[in-house]
Amino acid sequence: MGTVQIRNARKSYGSVEVLHGVSIDIEEGEFVALVGPSGCGKSTLLRMIAGLEEITSGHILIGDRIVNDVAPKDRDIAMVFQNYALYPHKNVRDNMGFALRQRRVSRDEINVRVTEAARILGLEELLDRKPRALSGGQRQRVAMGRAIVRDPNVFLFDEPLSNLDAKLRVQMRSEIKELHQRLKTTTIYVTHDQIEAMTLADRVVVMNSGVIEQAGPPLELYDNPATLFVAAFIGSPPMNFFEGDLVGGTGLVMGDGTRLALPEADPKGRQRATVGVRAEHFDLAEKGWPATVSVVEPTGSETLVMARLAGDVVRVLIRGRTAVQPGETIHLRPQRGSLHFFDAAPVPEVAQMEDVA
Amino acid sequence: MSQARKRRPIGQTLRIVGGVMVSIIFLFPVYWMVLTSFKQQVDIFTSPPTFWFEPTIAAYAEYMTRADILPRLINTVVVATLSALFSIIVGTMAGYALARIQIRGAATFGALILLSRGVPPIALAVPMFLVARNLGLTDQHITLILAYSTFLVPYVMWLMRSFFLSLPRELEESAMIDGCSRYGAFFKIILPISLPGLLSTLIFSMILAWEELLFALVLTNRNASTIPVAIAGIAGDTVNGANWAALTAVGTITVVPVVIFALLVQKWLIKGLADGATKG
Ligand SMILES: Nc1ncnc2c1ncn2[C@@H]1O[C@H](COP(=O)(O)OP(=O)(O)O)[C@@H](O)[C@H]1O
Ligand SMILES: [Mg+2]
Repeated sequence: MGTVQIRNARKSYGSVEVLHGVSIDIEEGEFVALVGPSGCGKSTLLRMIAGLEEITSGHILIGDRIVNDVAPKDRDIAMVFQNYALYPHKNVRDNMGFALRQRRVSRDEINVRVTEAARILGLEELLDRKPRALSGGQRQRVAMGRAIVRDPNVFLFDEPLSNLDAKLRVQMRSEIKELHQRLKTTTIYVTHDQIEAMTLADRVVVMNSGVIEQAGPPLELYDNPATLFVAAFIGSPPMNFFEGDLVGGTGLVMGDGTRLALPEADPKGRQRATVGVRAEHFDLAEKGWPATVSVVEPTGSETLVMARLAGDVVRVLIRGRTAVQPGETIHLRPQRGSLHFFDAAPVPEVAQMEDVA
Repeated sequence: MSQARKRRPIGQTLRIVGGVMVSIIFLFPVYWMVLTSFKQQVDIFTSPPTFWFEPTIAAYAEYMTRADILPRLINTVVVATLSALFSIIVGTMAGYALARIQIRGAATFGALILLSRGVPPIALAVPMFLVARNLGLTDQHITLILAYSTFLVPYVMWLMRSFFLSLPRELEESAMIDGCSRYGAFFKIILPISLPGLLSTLIFSMILAWEELLFALVLTNRNASTIPVAIAGIAGDTVNGANWAALTAVGTITVVPVVIFALLVQKWLIKGLADGATKG
């Protein structure tokens, strides 16, 4: 049974707690991405599921068995590491067959399963090569092959695409998705790249500093970020934020006195708020928030306009093309129902990986 | 690379000339020793020294058959091999533990063991002699083997520890997920990858034991005595004066295996690098 339940799991290294009570229920066949900035504890959590790190407190269940004290080899999981960890002295065939050999599967059976996995991943020609004679992308495939021949209950991936160049990363991303649709094995996938998480997963778990900020389907996180952190982390180009006092319901007065008219009031009636607007939720209008265009980046299907408003950069995504020129003043009108209100706070610095997509 | 070479041919040449000169300076005494060992007494003392003479193996014939050389040679082989083997087994496992297993105080423990190497051997030789005598173990092979292990085990441990640290730990973790215990991961994955480094360390340990003089001098006198002791004896013969033919012949016999070992090490090291053993 490929369900995974994490119940209030904590992890401390010495006196430093790095995971502060994390709970997730993962269903059979689900593809869950753990995403968050570097150092937030994603790998630690994944390694606890794998049995490579002790669970300081709380429980982890795979199927209906508590695995806190079960050795990695007895958890029926397979893991793909960022550096692939291929056995350098074994050829591709033996790398892929190693786990089956450990389980005393017959030679014929191993052969059949390795050949099948190699066919799925396009590795047939490379079976007799040593890892050092493979390119980065090929090594990545072998690492995947080593996981799928096992036919485990759960796949664990720790940043498996981070060592590839951008183009290959996008290609392998699709292949991983396709593979999951075909095998339907429960998958937990760690990445710091929110686009990777959004495009791959059925459900995205956003982590920050050892806690879960929000978990849900990708578009739900995009449309309804529960916290300022999630709002800032998910989405590319990133959401625009404006911090200030809310006056008279629909007025936002910012630090320098600039007053912005909002199309709707904060449902929670805060005094001060940080208001978020996604780049594609602005209309260019006759009247609106005045901003001075600094850069125009056309990509053909859409155009990204960067402008300055009250000293801040605002990103505006325009469908199709635009005649807007740098230096020009434009008027931005946020669409009704597109505003995100949060308690006033500085916008978290989240290093986003710009992906080619 | 090749472009850089073309741009700086003078620097390249100077480096080669420099290398050759340094090699000559270091190798000449060895060459002279080997040459002398094949000379007759008259040729040894001609002045100026001669490179042309009628070679003889008289020194070898005489000293190999003399009772104290051959047994000592065998002793040296036995003691060097066994102490190196023992140390490689103990030191490798200790090095692995220090590199990988997180135990409270492991770092301190490792540093202490390293520190023990800072003690001058002479400070250990005499107490060791007293211990050996009280145990009735003076002049035994086992005594020398244990004495050598006191410096070989830390040596192996530190070399192998840093080697293991250079391997990504995901290798063992992968193996452990694939169905191995930690021991299985060590023996099936880590050990085969480490083989070139392990063999080199083994050879270096044998060389260290092979040429050790102080402990051998203090802890043995006849039964377990080694070749370095014999050389010291010949060189320090104040009654008859040093017998040069004998000295250089025994010296050559001592050096040849070391040279062969060193060449083997080089071959393995290069093979190890070519295997990309430390890269995933
Ligand atoms: N072995 C360890 N000892 C001490 N601290 C660790 C150890 N491993 C990870 N950490 C700390 O735990 C936190 C989470 O690390 P990690 O799970 O690797 O983050 P992520 O994978 O999200 O980048 C980091 O602050 C890291 O420094
Ligand atoms: Mg990580």
